[in-house]
Amino acid sequence: MTDQTQQGGVSPAPTVGAGLTPPWPHVERSGQSDAPAGTAQSHTIVVLAHDRIGALDRIVNVLRRRRAKMQAFAIGRNELPDVVRITIVMNDSEVGVEHLVEQLRKIVDVQHVANLASEQTVARELALIKVNSSESQYASEIIELGHLFGAHVVDVTQQSITLEVTGSEEKVEKLVNGLQSFGIREVARTGRVAMTRGTVDP
Amino acid sequence: MNVAATITQKPEGATVYQAHRSTEDLEARELTGSQILCEALMREGVELLYGYPGGAIMPFYDALTSYPVLHHILVRHEQAAAHAADGYARATGKVGVCVATSGPGATNLVTGLATAYMDSTPIVAITGQVARPFIGRDAFQETDILGVTQPITKHNFLVQRVEDLADIVHEAFRLARGGRPGPVVIDVPKDVQFSKTQYHASTSISSIERFRASRSPHPSAEAVARAAELIKEAQRPLIMSGHGVILSNAYAELRAFAEKTNIPVITTLLGLSAFPETHPLSLGMPGMHGPAHVNRAIGVADLIIGVGLRFDDRVTGKASEFAPHARFIHIDIDPSEMHKVKRAAVPIVADAKEALARLIEAVERGDNCTWMNELRSWEADDSERIASIQRNQEYPDPTSILEAIRAETNNEAIIVTDVGQHQMWTARHYTWTRPNSHITSGGLGTMGFALPAAMGVKMGSPDTVVWVVAGDGGIQMNIQELATLKQEGVTVKVAIMNNGYLGMVRQWQHFFHNGNYSETPITGPDYVKLAEAYGLTGIQVTKRGDVEEAVRKAMGTEGTVIIDFVIESEANVYPMVAPGSAITNMIEEKPEESTYHD
Repeated sequence: MTDQTQQGGVSPAPTVGAGLTPPWPHVERSGQSDAPAGTAQSHTIVVLAHDRIGALDRIVNVLRRRRAKMQAFAIGRNELPDVVRITIVMNDSEVGVEHLVEQLRKIVDVQHVANLASEQTVARELALIKVNSSESQYASEIIELGHLFGAHVVDVTQQSITLEVTGSEEKVEKLVNGLQSFGIREVARTGRVAMTRGTVDP
Repeated sequence: MNVAATITQKPEGATVYQAHRSTEDLEARELTGSQILCEALMREGVELLYGYPGGAIMPFYDALTSYPVLHHILVRHEQAAAHAADGYARATGKVGVCVATSGPGATNLVTGLATAYMDSTPIVAITGQVARPFIGRDAFQETDILGVTQPITKHNFLVQRVEDLADIVHEAFRLARGGRPGPVVIDVPKDVQFSKTQYHASTSISSIERFRASRSPHPSAEAVARAAELIKEAQRPLIMSGHGVILSNAYAELRAFAEKTNIPVITTLLGLSAFPETHPLSLGMPGMHGPAHVNRAIGVADLIIGVGLRFDDRVTGKASEFAPHARFIHIDIDPSEMHKVKRAAVPIVADAKEALARLIEAVERGDNCTWMNELRSWEADDSERIASIQRNQEYPDPTSILEAIRAETNNEAIIVTDVGQHQMWTARHYTWTRPNSHITSGGLGTMGFALPAAMGVKMGSPDTVVWVVAGDGGIQMNIQELATLKQEGVTVKVAIMNNGYLGMVRQWQHFFHNGNYSETPITGPDYVKLAEAYGLTGIQVTKRGDVEEAVRKAMGTEGTVIIDFVIESEANVYPMVAPGSAITNMIEEKPEESTYHD
């Protein structure tokens, strides 16, 4: 019909790689569903997709259409040729995520989708943090703070020190916060990558 | 492997083309991409293509003349090509094919692809693309059609190497018709159409195919047993059958299941004609314009058995108040439909035909006489009330038009409707008995669908009478296809319900916008003269008494005939459920509010 009534509000644009606590309130997405939405929580979804033209677009398109509250989206290769492994961190209700997983499974390029249970998952993020060090007396303090977090120095110049840190998002955030007082020039975070512990098949 | 193709009549004569060719012969010589495309289409059993040539698809059209087995129909607008392929697919269950050039040709297909996507019909669209070196450089008539069509296709391909072409065509057809059917686009760069290689379709199944096969849905024994239990316990059960029943050709199973359990059957808009409406268990259509007793039945039902439907918002109204006392058994081939709108007590991810066959074995013979009698008494009360409303007898009215068409065609016609009031009137007042005789754009609600779709329907089932029922708004959206019908010698009969308004929008304005008829009054051409201008026959009917004779005359006249029925201008479709409202909360026709004036 020529008439359409739009339901639901507009959700804010997702901030890729931002912190884990979403700054926006929970927006009821499924005005047309009677399924209990439940409380939104963070989910880690792993997608294995055939590396063909348009595969990534199709996955992102499903997330966009659902106005998914994405917190991280990491893409890289896995052990197989022609396969990309994508880790999505997003906030949604249990019901919402179940439906999303089924929608992702419908994409022809998608070979496998798993919603990883947090207690059975190893999750890591890598960050590069470039800190001001033009005032040389602070250089050792920066390096020392980095060591507390297991960070390595990957670049040193007259003006800056770049640290590489690996760990949970919380750990990365703590280090970033700790370095704020020295003046952060740039932060690059990969977003979470994850896999299940042991030989549990997700 | 031998491929034998025997098909088709070119419009000018009875040239029957036969191709007998072995794959070995074929693989011995080099072919261009265009020839490979034709060979692959032939091997998929394609007989008809609807399309429009242009720069980036010209090599394909050049090759096409060497393959007379592929009958190409030159439409007058690419949108019509997509709708015609869609109509052909809906009528035959085979994959419909449409062809367009790059850029504007391809973007003109978009509405047709979206229509097919929403209604799960299998079509393959072949689009030309600028040559590979020009892609992404804003070349003349370049559009990123992969990007444009991604959200409205099941899958799409950009052919990057001519060596991949044959495999891609075969995969596209498998995808279009497999599982929940849908449209697939193959974008072929011009230089790929020129490139040469040997025809070689790989026989090995790709990893994707293996993955798909492993997910091939069969009903689980536990789910079937649990469903049978719920059916046994239910006091007020209903079957709701949707498009899936038609797509999986499950008419006999649906009927046997309903008869064994004695459960009344509701058919959604796209499910109409899946179950004969003359059957004592047939109840009617639910939702926004469903008759009152159907929506009331849903309101008190304690079990809904949904077969091949997706609980669209036009069916459910406010989802939380839809069938509030019912548990749901939901049969659908698409797992992502489960729990999407209503939590299913028993989700059965399976083909409708197979699931119903298993259910028939599992259920016990049932008796729902008390429930059925109650529903029939509601229906009788409604009919009585509606019959008591005084009506204008002067104008042709939808009911008499549809009854005349039904009677003159012995219920054997396929009716293709457009979108709007006439669509709802036809859905409601025609008596659907022939399986798959109702074809309409349900999910997308595409005005301009009916005429080109009917062309595909007629060419897919040439021995069947095909009627188009359209409004005076929608018919003007693809009216140019009259020329195609004429050129191809394809006969459809067209009934225009002409009320001088975009009637459904006007009705919404009447109910929800204080009668502010903003941009809904519409004029049209003199349809009699228009038909004549296209070399066809036109009839105008302004009186109720002339309806039958006009329909009879249209049936007796050779070629496409257009009847312009001038109907009451401000009639509404009743009952109506306001969008977002519970379906039991209906706006019903009242004598004092009747828009029929004397």
